[in-house]
Amino acid sequence: MSRLLVVDDEANIRLLYSEELQDEGYDVVTAASSAEAIETLQSGAFDLAVLDIKLKNESGIELLQKLVKERHDMPVILCSAFSCYKDDFSAWLADGYVVKSGDLTELKQEIARVLAKKAQKLKAEAK
Amino acid sequence: MDRECCWDREVIELADCPEIGTGEEDLLVSKRQRTLEKCGDCPLFLNDLARLRDENNPLAPIMTDFLADFRRQKTQIQSLVSFLDNKTLEIRFLHELGQVLQSSVDLDEVLSVALTAITSGKGFGMNRAFLLLCDREDGILKGYLGLGPRNQEEASQVWNEIIQSDMDLQTLAKNFRLNKLSSERAKFHDILELLTVPLSNKDHILVKTLDGKRPVLVEGAFQHPDVPPELARLLGVDSFLAMPLISRNRRVGMIIADNCITRRTITDEDMHSLETFSFPVAFAIERASLYDKLHVELERVTEAGKKLKEQQELIVRMENMALVGRITSSIAHSVRNPLMIIGGFARSMLKKSPASDSKHTFIESIVAETRQLEGVLDEILNYSDSLYPTRDFWDVNQLVETALHDTADVLTSHGYATFYSPDNNLPHVYIDFKQLSNCLRTVLHNDITGIGTDRSISISSQCGNDCVILRIEDSSRHISQAELDHLLVPFSETHELGAGLGLALCKTMLEKQGIPFVAQAEQFNGIRYTITLPTRKEEQS
Repeated sequence: MSRLLVVDDEANIRLLYSEELQDEGYDVVTAASSAEAIETLQSGAFDLAVLDIKLKNESGIELLQKLVKERHDMPVILCSAFSCYKDDFSAWLADGYVVKSGDLTELKQEIARVLAKKAQKLKAEAK
Repeated sequence: MDRECCWDREVIELADCPEIGTGEEDLLVSKRQRTLEKCGDCPLFLNDLARLRDENNPLAPIMTDFLADFRRQKTQIQSLVSFLDNKTLEIRFLHELGQVLQSSVDLDEVLSVALTAITSGKGFGMNRAFLLLCDREDGILKGYLGLGPRNQEEASQVWNEIIQSDMDLQTLAKNFRLNKLSSERAKFHDILELLTVPLSNKDHILVKTLDGKRPVLVEGAFQHPDVPPELARLLGVDSFLAMPLISRNRRVGMIIADNCITRRTITDEDMHSLETFSFPVAFAIERASLYDKLHVELERVTEAGKKLKEQQELIVRMENMALVGRITSSIAHSVRNPLMIIGGFARSMLKKSPASDSKHTFIESIVAETRQLEGVLDEILNYSDSLYPTRDFWDVNQLVETALHDTADVLTSHGYATFYSPDNNLPHVYIDFKQLSNCLRTVLHNDITGIGTDRSISISSQCGNDCVILRIEDSSRHISQAELDHLLVPFSETHELGAGLGLALCKTMLEKQGIPFVAQAEQFNGIRYTITLPTRKEEQS
């Protein structure tokens, strides 16, 4: 079972993601801030992180940069309420980008795609 | 003594003096004037003088001496008058030339005048002249322009034309600049190409002459120890004049002149006249070159000023964009998140509630309404994005293929087939790629609401006048032109037609970029969208 970390400052969104992604068969852990996310990451291994770009007074992009630097083996999908961040060069560091929507199909597809890609990479490295 | 001459008569007839011709009738009545002007050369007078000598008249030898001295002085005076006439002509010519050279800042005009003056019969009368200019950046003396005939036949033709047209020097030069400058440059292209000498080659006769700042008359060029044989062969003359052009102690270039057709000897006088002429020419060439450089610099400064202004405008726009961005970001965050939560949970509940549940329909309505609201939010955000387009040159094929790729899943799921044949010869178009992609996607998405049986969309691109015309033809949608026009009005009620704000926003976005967007509905043949994409920057409004 893949373990996912969901970082979003909105409690209801964290709840929604947890419900929906658990239904998809993932083990989901949530965090409300960058600090909480880093603390959670230290507690164990994660297969993928889903980050909101705007975290109250913090920037999800900064957290992304930190994760890419320190946890480069863990893919990250950015979630945002606004599509303009797609054009932000820093956002290109992420493995995926999804605009927030009540229909989570796109997010679920993106998670599946990124995890499959990671598995393929690990398989190739093992060979 | 019988006298043959009329020297002792006050008044004579025209037939009495063989030296007086028609037009000189005033001499017939003026004995003194006639004696001074005509008797010294008159054979009848000389016969009378000889007869006096034969008669041992003591005045005869004295008269003979007087006459000889008178004739010598007369010749001297005539020679001086001729010299003065020539000098007057030369000064007049140099004055005329100086006026043109001083007033012109056009390099081609200066060079045309200079070379015409050297080669024209009314000027220095040389057969041919080459002008070489110093290229300081490349450190070379380089052939720039040649003037004159290449052979006897051409010489006869050109010189006859000049004699017949009887043009003054200024007109000749103007005529040359307007009609013959390019052809003359092409005519001597082979020689001019080879007339290139590195300025560092201090032993070369041309560089040596340039450094010496004095003209050199080369005679016996083919055997001359200082003349490279290839230079002598190239010019094909045994004698030529190398005239350095020096302005304010700076080396400007050189004129090489010769008489390749008439083979007339180049005299020291020719050389001195040309030397006098070379100073204003050098000065005029340098001034024209500096003016050219000044012009280039001015253009550069103007361009830099223009860019600076554009940058300033861009900064203002960026500030506006940042403001719009902040507002829209704030709206996005504060509206989208609640919408997402409502829609997300509604979907979650819908999944878990059986169709028989009485609340199932209510939840379905919530899902549908939130989806609709999310769509409206996307369109508003796209519209705010469109307020400040970022344009650049893009490949039309890439634009269409990207839009087709992005919409492929949706179009296929609705049973649509798309057709596009890329044309690799199309020029790049000046557009905001993101906005145009968005518009194309919107048009394609708009089409899938069609109800016809022929579910195909064909896209074609065609090169137009400074534009590329993109046509999207959808044969599945059958609506009237009035209904289609309604779709193109922002915020009109279009929900029942299934298109939302999309097409209206596309039209607004494109019009903001000065790109015409035409939608034509044919009741039974579907819809045709025509987008005219500019290929030039200035076409933008």
